[in-house]
Amino acid sequence: MARFLIRRILQAILVLFLVTVFTLALVHLFPGGPIRSLLGPRATVAQVAYYNHLYGFDQPFYIQYFKWVGQILHGNLGFSPKLNQSVVSLIAQDLPKTLILCLLGTVVSLAFGIPLGLYQAVKRYTTGDYILTGVSFLGYATPTFFVGLLLVEWFAIDVHLFPPFAPQGTTVGAILSDPRALVLPVISYAFVLYALWSRYMRSSVMDNLVQDYVRTARAKGASERRVLWGHIFRNSLMSIVTLLGLSLPVLVAGAIFIEVVFNYPGMGLAFYTASLNVDYQVLLGFTLIATVATILGNLLADVAYAVLDPRVRYN
Amino acid sequence: MAVIPPGADPRELGASVAADPALAIETGAPAAPPRSLLVRGWSVFAENKLALASVVLLIIIILFCFLGPVIHPTDQIHTNLDLTLCAPSGSHLLGCDPVGYDELGRLMVGGQTSLEVGFAAAIVAVLFGTLYGAFSGFVGGPVDSALMRIVDAGLSIPSIMVVIILSVVFHPTKIIMIFIIAVFYWLGVARLIRGETLSLRTREYVQAVKVVGGGGGRAIVRHIVPNAIGTIIVQATFAVADSILILSGLGFLGLGVQPPATDWGDMLSGGLTYLQSGTNYWWLIYPAGFAIILTCIAFNFIGDALRDAFETRLQRR
Amino acid sequence: MAPLLQIEDLRTDIKLKHSTVHAVDGISLHVDPGETLGIVGESGCGKTMTALSIMNLLPTGGSIAGGSIKLNDVEISQLSDEKLRRVRGNDIGMIFQDPLTSLNPTMTVGRQIAEAVQLHREVSREQAMDRAAEVLDLVGMPRARERIGEYPHQFSGGMRQRVMIAMALACEPKLLIADEPTTALDVTIQKQILELIDELRQRLGMAVILVTHDLGVIAGRADRVAVMYAGRIAESTSTGTLFANPRHPYTEALFHALPEKAAETREKLLSISGLPPDLTNPPSGCRFAPRCRYATDRCRAEDPVLMGETPEHKYACFYPVGTAERGQKAAVTEEPKRAPRPEYAVPAAETLLDVRNLVKEFPVTKGAVMQRKVGFVSAVADVSFEIGRGQTLGLVGESGCGKTTVGRLLVGLDKPTNGVISFEGEDLAKRSGREYRRDRRKIQFMFQDSYSSLDPRMRAGAILREPLLVQGIGSRAEQQKRIEEMLDHVGLAHTALERYPHEFSGGQRQRLGFARALILSPELIVADEPVSALDVSIQAQVLNLMRDLQRELGLTYMFISHDLAVVRYLSTRIGVMYLGKLVEIGPADEVYMTPAHPYTRGLIDSAPVADPELEQAKEEKGVRGELPSAIHPPSGCRFRTRCPLAQEICAQEEPPMRAFSPNGHTAACHFPLQNPVSVGSTSASASQSAAP
Repeated sequence: MARFLIRRILQAILVLFLVTVFTLALVHLFPGGPIRSLLGPRATVAQVAYYNHLYGFDQPFYIQYFKWVGQILHGNLGFSPKLNQSVVSLIAQDLPKTLILCLLGTVVSLAFGIPLGLYQAVKRYTTGDYILTGVSFLGYATPTFFVGLLLVEWFAIDVHLFPPFAPQGTTVGAILSDPRALVLPVISYAFVLYALWSRYMRSSVMDNLVQDYVRTARAKGASERRVLWGHIFRNSLMSIVTLLGLSLPVLVAGAIFIEVVFNYPGMGLAFYTASLNVDYQVLLGFTLIATVATILGNLLADVAYAVLDPRVRYN
Repeated sequence: MAVIPPGADPRELGASVAADPALAIETGAPAAPPRSLLVRGWSVFAENKLALASVVLLIIIILFCFLGPVIHPTDQIHTNLDLTLCAPSGSHLLGCDPVGYDELGRLMVGGQTSLEVGFAAAIVAVLFGTLYGAFSGFVGGPVDSALMRIVDAGLSIPSIMVVIILSVVFHPTKIIMIFIIAVFYWLGVARLIRGETLSLRTREYVQAVKVVGGGGGRAIVRHIVPNAIGTIIVQATFAVADSILILSGLGFLGLGVQPPATDWGDMLSGGLTYLQSGTNYWWLIYPAGFAIILTCIAFNFIGDALRDAFETRLQRR
Repeated sequence: MAPLLQIEDLRTDIKLKHSTVHAVDGISLHVDPGETLGIVGESGCGKTMTALSIMNLLPTGGSIAGGSIKLNDVEISQLSDEKLRRVRGNDIGMIFQDPLTSLNPTMTVGRQIAEAVQLHREVSREQAMDRAAEVLDLVGMPRARERIGEYPHQFSGGMRQRVMIAMALACEPKLLIADEPTTALDVTIQKQILELIDELRQRLGMAVILVTHDLGVIAGRADRVAVMYAGRIAESTSTGTLFANPRHPYTEALFHALPEKAAETREKLLSISGLPPDLTNPPSGCRFAPRCRYATDRCRAEDPVLMGETPEHKYACFYPVGTAERGQKAAVTEEPKRAPRPEYAVPAAETLLDVRNLVKEFPVTKGAVMQRKVGFVSAVADVSFEIGRGQTLGLVGESGCGKTTVGRLLVGLDKPTNGVISFEGEDLAKRSGREYRRDRRKIQFMFQDSYSSLDPRMRAGAILREPLLVQGIGSRAEQQKRIEEMLDHVGLAHTALERYPHEFSGGQRQRLGFARALILSPELIVADEPVSALDVSIQAQVLNLMRDLQRELGLTYMFISHDLAVVRYLSTRIGVMYLGKLVEIGPADEVYMTPAHPYTRGLIDSAPVADPELEQAKEEKGVRGELPSAIHPPSGCRFRTRCPLAQEICAQEEPPMRAFSPNGHTAACHFPLQNPVSVGSTSASASQSAAP
């Protein structure tokens, strides 16, 4: 187990190294280099050269890399001239709000996805299953932002049930002060995730249902309920936990679109604004943070799987 | 499709009991005319009515986008501010958008972009991913390890962020858009195909080539590729739907193809502004939105049915 | 005495997408308290479905379509789920074929056994766990109390099956249903498990239904037997009567198809031609009629009832075996029996294959990135033998003994770590790439699983053409001719060329695999368990075919199998492997009749034989214990940990190969079961055949 963990962490570090190289390489993709895109086409060559030297972009790539990594390790992710704010402080300000959205959306989607997926597997090939399958296919095929648009059209414009905007404000307290305004963003967010969980849960339970050990449990005299909850549910949930750790990129994508649609003041919206402003320090800083989170999520998923599955635990 | 272990699957039982005795010389009965795998695959596919309907739907959508402008010609180059946000009427069946383009005509032009980019990106991504994954799987060892760490790293970066950054950098045209989408989509394909290759490489029928003196090339061309092709085609089908979704997302954020070109997602971004103003311009939302959903759901259904069709176990019946 | 279980006219259907399989079609049987009823039949005959029907554990789509099942005079086939649950695990316990998949992988074995107790007894969790430890101890689990906290994957196959048995017996049921309980296990473990079931039956006074395809298993363990064919009972009587005087032609044919029946004479086996009927649409007459040697028009038109002269012996046949009253067409269609083949008596004139000190070690690595070598599995350890031209060397041993690895090394699928393989006097490893490739054709391989060894996307024609294409042999027309010739050889119609592998039955696929091995006109064919996946009747067809073609084409075989009877039937010489070592090798009959190595003896005693008297006679014999790890094999003699004769020297010194007859019978044992002889040179690898 300890050996497995060490191996897994070493792998994660290797991946992290590659990712940082990729990310820094992205900077150089900007037309005319990062400084030119920052200063705009009217800047003089001398100005560009000055700033290139100032930021160290005239140095060899590997030196830039080590400097950059050094900065990151000191907690410096760069500075946004457009917002006149350091990237770290921007993250500190927006991350909690995005986390609230992600957390609520994930919880709501799991709360529906797991039981309904289970229901579908147990009642497979019935009308109920077909309808829910249709719903999850819809979830796969619908862009997140369009779900948001539809909900706004229906529940904010046609029927004035909820406000079309997310609660505004820079603090977490401000966001939570208007729960009604959170309803539509969270539902839109949860819908696409729901499709993922329920589909996965359905196939996972169905895989388990035909296993021999289920027949053994029945042969013991266990009731269908007991078979389902005592044996199948547990084993199916194990794979969902893994999936949860691996789905961070999906959560990030969802956050960006939902925050744009509802003007929700989180990291996603900030990232979008930065992209319109070509604020490359923010773009890179945020990407790096999200990537590290993804790598940690993958690591966590593996560890959770190892803890939950005795076949891995004792090997 | 659940994985049913051998023996527990009633279909297995049916198949073994119903095995065709006509082949044994002992009985000598005339054999039924054999059918090719393609024919069998089609019969499994055709059983899936949803998939058939999806094929028809897709054909209609493609005809609508590419032949529609001939029947319903509109000016999609010059804006016409007199017609800004005009409501649906006889001359503009779906009304007009904020700069006065006819919404129905716009739907056709946008659809062209969405479909072209969707197909092309899927092909590029699946082609490259397949080659990369297959190579990695064949070679194995440290090379495979290194190649796969690169894929791992790529997959760890939330793809949407990279795609957005690339769009900011490149001000994309259709062609650039195709590569931006493909540049991260191939990663998943590569990992899948590598797994498939690894498992196929150990199959006994691939080993059998070695026993008769055949080399690696023959094993790849004659056995591994034909057996992996099903997975690849299914993957490509889903890739088209996913590419259309990504494109629409970028379009929605205003980072997609540049005007006067458009795609379905881009059309929706106009809708957002007006929704937030609280006025009901439904024609800015429904047509393009449902076009995306219908197209993507059709590809998903087709991919699902194709997966069944390529499954030889199901072809037995 | 009232029967414990009474089944009347049971019919079980399985609904498929487009049709319904009548898997069990009107069977009646009973089980008395304390007795063992054996249900025997080939795959697809409905024996497992019968067993599953009793407690209604049928797979999806399966349902009981009619008939009655009474337990102690209470109808249980119509019980509500609630009431049926009180029967399951309480009155009737059940164990299944594969103990690994049959146990929940994420629950400790203790919890799984305790669950059964808690479901039927008013006990606390602790009491249930106590009981779990108690029954685990009862089924012979060492250190039972410590091991209840472990998970299924931490146990060996035999121990897992013991856990299954403990679970089934935790509530002391009156009836135990064992569905192929030992099919997934090695013979030595099989014998231990069967003995355990028998012992527990007597101790707990329960009845047992033993479902199996293996007539040998039935012979030693069952009081009465029901033979099933195509969803029906063909014959049912006491075990002794059945084996002494079978009346149904199917039962008779099954016995004739057993290779051990012809082991000494080496006559051609009487195979049953054709295949069982399609149970979605069964024939109207006797179901065995299309394959029956004695069938008449009446058999094809009318359905015989299960009855007999005495209530104890019932059979469903109009013209039972052993009576004068046979049909007009009783003309025996079998080929005339041949005298023992002289080839077997003649020693090989020329050595075709010479294997010296063959070693294969597979590295065991840890870590995905570093791939550190942390040890190795010793799969083949210093094995030497020869095969003479035209001979058959049979290689037997339990799973993990290295016999398959030896085969793979010979055909070049793996590279040996050490040792020399000489073919026709030349060292194969010394050849250049091109020569080596060309020479590949002279040694061909027959895979165990014909299904996975045939490319599912290729037609049979393309599969057979491939070797010719690879070797660049002949024009297209010549290839076609050769392919058709091969089909004729293996008994497949030419129409088969257009078909895909999944359209063939198991036996036909194995014929196709054989044809592929033959098409390059090889000298030596290495056959890895070629018949182990086949039913007895089909197995006989393939064995006959292999035997006939060996004579016709002058082939040399290396035949790898776990089944001693099959190996003995086909082989000139037998080699016995244990944990990577060749422990004994010699002429087939000598090794079988007068083995020198205790392991060979144990293996012979463990293998079930279809003869009730013989089976009961060897009650106390067989190999004890379990196979040790090949990563850390025991020092000295690798068999010592399970050997009844082992002494100190066995752990210290590796026994050398010594000769036990002038015919090249050698074995490696410090305390052999007979005295070694000194013949010329008793070199460690003295397998040189002798007797002129």
